[in-house]
Amino acid sequence: MDDRLTIAGREFSSRLITGTGKYETFEVMRDAVAASGCEMVTVAVRRIDLDAGDEENILDFLPEEVLLLPNTAGCETAEEAVRVARLARAGGLPDWIKLEVIPDPRHLLPDPVETLRAAEILVADGFTVLPYMLPDPVLARKLAAAGCATVMPLAAPIGTGRGLRLRDSIRIMIEEAEVPVVVDAGLGSPSHAAEAMELGADAVLVNTAIARADDPVTMARAFRLAVEAGRAGRLAGIMDEQATAQPSSPVGGLVTQP
Amino acid sequence: MSGAVTVNGREHELEPGETVERLLERLGLGARYALVERNGDPVERAAYGRVALTPGDRLVVARPVAGG
Repeated sequence: MDDRLTIAGREFSSRLITGTGKYETFEVMRDAVAASGCEMVTVAVRRIDLDAGDEENILDFLPEEVLLLPNTAGCETAEEAVRVARLARAGGLPDWIKLEVIPDPRHLLPDPVETLRAAEILVADGFTVLPYMLPDPVLARKLAAAGCATVMPLAAPIGTGRGLRLRDSIRIMIEEAEVPVVVDAGLGSPSHAAEAMELGADAVLVNTAIARADDPVTMARAFRLAVEAGRAGRLAGIMDEQATAQPSSPVGGLVTQP
Repeated sequence: MSGAVTVNGREHELEPGETVERLLERLGLGARYALVERNGDPVERAAYGRVALTPGDRLVVARPVAGG
């Protein structure tokens, strides 16, 4: 079945995007990325520690064919996010950007006003913008109108693994989506990812649930299978719930009838 | 003395005619990974070998790291 995800004109076979943070080693990350089948991974941008000496570089552990999606994590204003995006692009990273504007360190919830403002600047500057957001259908419409390539609602706060807590708002976003909806953050288990895909998400982005598993490589494969299962289920047409039991076997012709 | 620039907040003496690329090499940073901002403006990778530094320049040198 040809069921590709298209974002900004680029096609992806995988509907799982992974983050590269929180792995014990780059070797485990590399193997988990491979096991996940993902074709896009997020990276952060940070100042080099000039005292740290010759450190391993993450780029040496990521295959060429996997698209790097730099993020603006740590930015609290539109200006900061635009600055990081421009630095990344000038230095040779892709002109795709996972836009995160997060002023709140406790709940890590994004600032919708600053996110929209940054998106407008970055789109005008030629970036392909994938904004992280609270699941708000009105904001999603505005981000899409501003030219964002996707909208990326959080299922639950970053790193909590609590699953689709904001399910009803995400459902409305999906119903009204004008660009692909990528559920990003808060998915803790493969079943959460499957649930998001069954709900109609176009893709999911997972980091902590894989990286912090006892066995990240196996968990990466589990998420891959869950995303595929959820997507296939969505396309196949999920049955309507019934209020009462419906027998699966014939009600007539019983062996025990008089 | 050619003067100094700051790199990530720390002073570094410049060599005469030093470019971004040469400074990165001297700091032991592979140019492949380094992202450079000069006085608040990003420097295009293709220009690392051409952009000559000036005393007083403020440089930020960053790189991609693991992150979600």
